[in-house]
Parts: sequence; structure tokens; C-alpha cells
Amino acid sequence: MSKDIERQVEEQAKAWSGIAPPNSTSRDFARGLAETVKGFERARGQLVFENEPSSFEAALQETKERER
Amino acid sequence: MTAIKEYAALTRLTLIHASDAVRKGETTSVALTKAALEAFKVGDTTVNASIALDPEEALETAEGLDKLRKVGRLLGPLHGVPLAHKDMYYRAGKPCTCGSKIRGVFRPAYTATAIKRLEEAGSITVGSLNMAEFAQNPTGHNAHFGDCHNPWHVDHCTGGSSSGSGAAVAARFIYGALGSDTGGSIRLPASMCGVTGIKGTQTRVSRFGAMPLSFSADNVSPLARTARYCARLMRIIAGHDPSDPTSSTEPVSDYEAALDGDVRGLRIGIPNNFFFDGVDPEVWTAFDVAMNVLESRGAMTVRLEVPHMDDISTYASVVSRVEGATIHAQWMRERPEDYSVHLAGRLYAGYAIPAVHYVEALSRRGPILRALGKDVFAKVDVFATPTIRMKVPTLAATDIDAGAPGAIEAFGAISANTRAINYMGLPSVSVPCGFDSKGLPIGFQIQGRPFAEAKVLKVADAYQRDTNWHERAPTLDV
Repeated sequence: MSKDIERQVEEQAKAWSGIAPPNSTSRDFARGLAETVKGFERARGQLVFENEPSSFEAALQETKERER
Repeated sequence: MTAIKEYAALTRLTLIHASDAVRKGETTSVALTKAALEAFKVGDTTVNASIALDPEEALETAEGLDKLRKVGRLLGPLHGVPLAHKDMYYRAGKPCTCGSKIRGVFRPAYTATAIKRLEEAGSITVGSLNMAEFAQNPTGHNAHFGDCHNPWHVDHCTGGSSSGSGAAVAARFIYGALGSDTGGSIRLPASMCGVTGIKGTQTRVSRFGAMPLSFSADNVSPLARTARYCARLMRIIAGHDPSDPTSSTEPVSDYEAALDGDVRGLRIGIPNNFFFDGVDPEVWTAFDVAMNVLESRGAMTVRLEVPHMDDISTYASVVSRVEGATIHAQWMRERPEDYSVHLAGRLYAGYAIPAVHYVEALSRRGPILRALGKDVFAKVDVFATPTIRMKVPTLAATDIDAGAPGAIEAFGAISANTRAINYMGLPSVSVPCGFDSKGLPIGFQIQGRPFAEAKVLKVADAYQRDTNWHERAPTLDV
């Protein structure tokens, strides 16, 4: 998995952004994305069709502190 | 020697006492400014909290403020008070490095709204403060301007990214400072340096003229010695700004007036999940004692579960990373060698995160915040956690650029508790609550509903009425 993700990151960064690994430490950070992938696997199924980013602004208002 | 003693006495005043002393004519803006500049001169060779000081302009401004006071005119609640700010706030025509080599010669053409409001309230900007390169590390390392050192123990981290802000306030160089907080960058240095730092509700303060990092999670807010001083600074900078259309139109209450010490009946949630995973026993003990202090004032603690914490942790790491990578893409293509090793490495991974997952992270923010409203804030008024789960680490142990083993993991672990709060967009204040066995500060953070800045500051202030951690000052070995 870690080698796979390191290679995937390199291909994605090059193909989409024209960016090469800047140093050897960048490969360590790339391998760290494996945990993030697992996090998204665990979260699958929770996003529903109507969810979209602007709902956050509305949620700030709905959940805000109100004078008592 | 006498002059140095006089300066030291002035820098040990509190922000409000300094302001009052100028107003009453007991001291002058010039005297306070000279004292701040002298404090930097004497102590900053050890701490490295500043990037650039501007003595001539600061003293000229101070002289002008003193002339105004003599004719009975006070600009506002900070009249004559010297401050310094993280070197990512634009001031027209002044260098603004963002802690980087890349912006080493950058001179913005306009001034940040937060700086403008503080100066309109009478403050004097004496200079710019050290920070993590482009505000992107939680430790205080800086390869271009030198690491910032914790004034309590110079081998240790200050916390970042507002490293100079935390260190300069702790070392009594300055009464208060702006930091910025995208994943904990105010609360981490506040905790590690033993000062108070607030992150406002997302959108509470204008970001116009502030260096961008992650537009979904960036916050402009202050650090100072106590909650009361943070309240004064926060009230001045908060509120809608037409230059930043994303800033909230929500009214700004009088945060200082809310600080009455009365927390009787207030319900403080203590999470059972996530926030205490792997917490250091000394940090846990300090936190428990802090909760006892608030209980003895009449607050009630309630154990609860904070929903979706694993999801929040995953999503929070993606949002700021992708947004940061996006705005740095051109420099990463053209001059990656001009970034420090750890920052180039961190940015690089951001280019491979699929857009669908970035949008998923943003799209679930609203539903998760609503769940928090139902499962947490229906039961409690605020919730509290340690700001950092571990004791303050050394600079050497967390130096990714030097190849320190485990340093990459340490970066993530330091900001685990704070980063989650940025994703939720909540106001949060970090308060000093003790010292570890090596004499380094420990802090806890208090979170409230969106726009509950007054409430989190009130709890922090109530705690500080019964404790004196915030009054302790480090002795610099100069």
C-alpha cells in the first residue's frame, strides 16, 4: 500500500499539476496519505445527495449562540 | 541599569493597565514603546520572536499619540499600547515575509483590516513577528529566519504557526499580538508558551490583508496574557468588513463586559472520545484540576460523546492541505527549493488528493456541525479539552528537515485537538493551566457554539480569577 500510494501521488501530482517530488521527505508525506484514504473508506455512505459546501454557512447560523 | 529596570516594570504591566496608565497620564506611549523595543533588544537574541522591528516609525507614532492625549483626545481603548503581529499581516508599503524566502521582498500595497482596526483604536505596531513558513507548521521551526524558541525553555518548541506571537507575549516583550489559526496556530503557541489565545468563529474577523493559507479554515485572532486582554483585542477586530465579503454580519457583543466571573450553573462538556486518546498523564492531571477550579465556581461538568470525530479528523486534514497546495502550486512548480524541506513535502502530498474527497470534506461540514448542535450544545454550554495531548516537545525531536525520527507523525499529533475545532468552525480559547515536570506550560481549550466568543472568554476569565498561571513569567537566560 505505502509504495503504491507513493507512486500514485507522484503520478497524480505530475499529471495534474506538473509538480515533481521536491525532496525525499515529500515521499514520507505521500505515504502518510494512506491513513487519510482509510479515513475516507470509513466515512463512505455518510455523504447524502443533498449535502453541499454552502450548508456550512447555514449551519453556523442554525447552531449559533442566541441571547437568553 | 535604572532605565532597564524602568523598562522592565513597564513591560510587566498588563495590556489594560498599560492602556489605563497612558490614559491617566501616568506614563506615555513613548515610554511604553521604548520599553517594548528594549525588551526585544535584550531578550530576543535568545527567543528569536521577531522578524523585523520598526523603531523609528513606532516612536514617531507614539509621539503623535502622546500629543493627542495631551489635548484630551484618545483614539480608542488601545491608545498608546505597543503591539506586534505575526509577519503575515499586510501593511501598505512594509515588507511582509510570511516567514518565507519566497515572499522575502514582498511589499503589499494595502493594509490588513485587523491591523487597521487595532491602529485606529490607538495601538502602535512596533514590528512583525516570527512564524512558521507560510503559517504551515505547528512547532515554530523556521529555516529562513531561524527557529523561534520557547521562553520557558529555549530547547523546546513555541508551538506554531504563530510562534513569535506566543513567545513575544510570554516573554513580556509585548502586551498582545495577532496570530492566525487554521489548524491551531494561535492555540498551540498559546498553550506551549503559557499565554491565552482565542480563535474566533469562522468568518468572525475579516481576513482582508491577511496571508491566505486555507480559505475554509483561516482565522484572524489575538494572543495576550489573559482572556480579558484577548476580549479587548477581539472586540476591536471582530465584525463585518466590506473588503472581505466572507466576514460575518453577525453583531459583535461587548466581550469584556461579559466577563463577570459568574459560571454558576454553566454546563461544561468533557468529551469521552477522541480528545483524550493517548494524552500525557501530566496534561490530563492539569486538565482535571482546571475543571475542578471551574466546578468550585459553580460550573457543572458533563461527560459526553462528540459525534463524528474520526470523520472530522480525516476531513480537517484534507481541507487545509488541498487549499494550501492550490495556492502554492505555481511556486511549487517554479521554485520548490525555496521552501523548507517539511513544507515542500507537506504541500506536495496535497496535489494527489482527489477533488471528490475535498468536496466531500467541505460538504459534510454543515451536517456535522448540526449534529454537534444537537448532540453536544443541546446538553452543554461549552466543551473543554486539553489544547495539546502531549507535553511541549523539543525543537530537535520535531525537526523534520533534520530527519528527526517520528517528527512527521508528531506534527499531526500536536494539532489533533485544535485542527478538529477549525473544521467545525467553533470559537475556541486556549488557557494556561499549569506546568509539566520540566517547567513547560500546559493549556486547555474551551469551545462554544458559533459566535459564542463572549461565553468562551467568560469561562476562561472565570478560571483565571482563581488561578495565577497567566501571571507567571519566564526568566530569560540572556
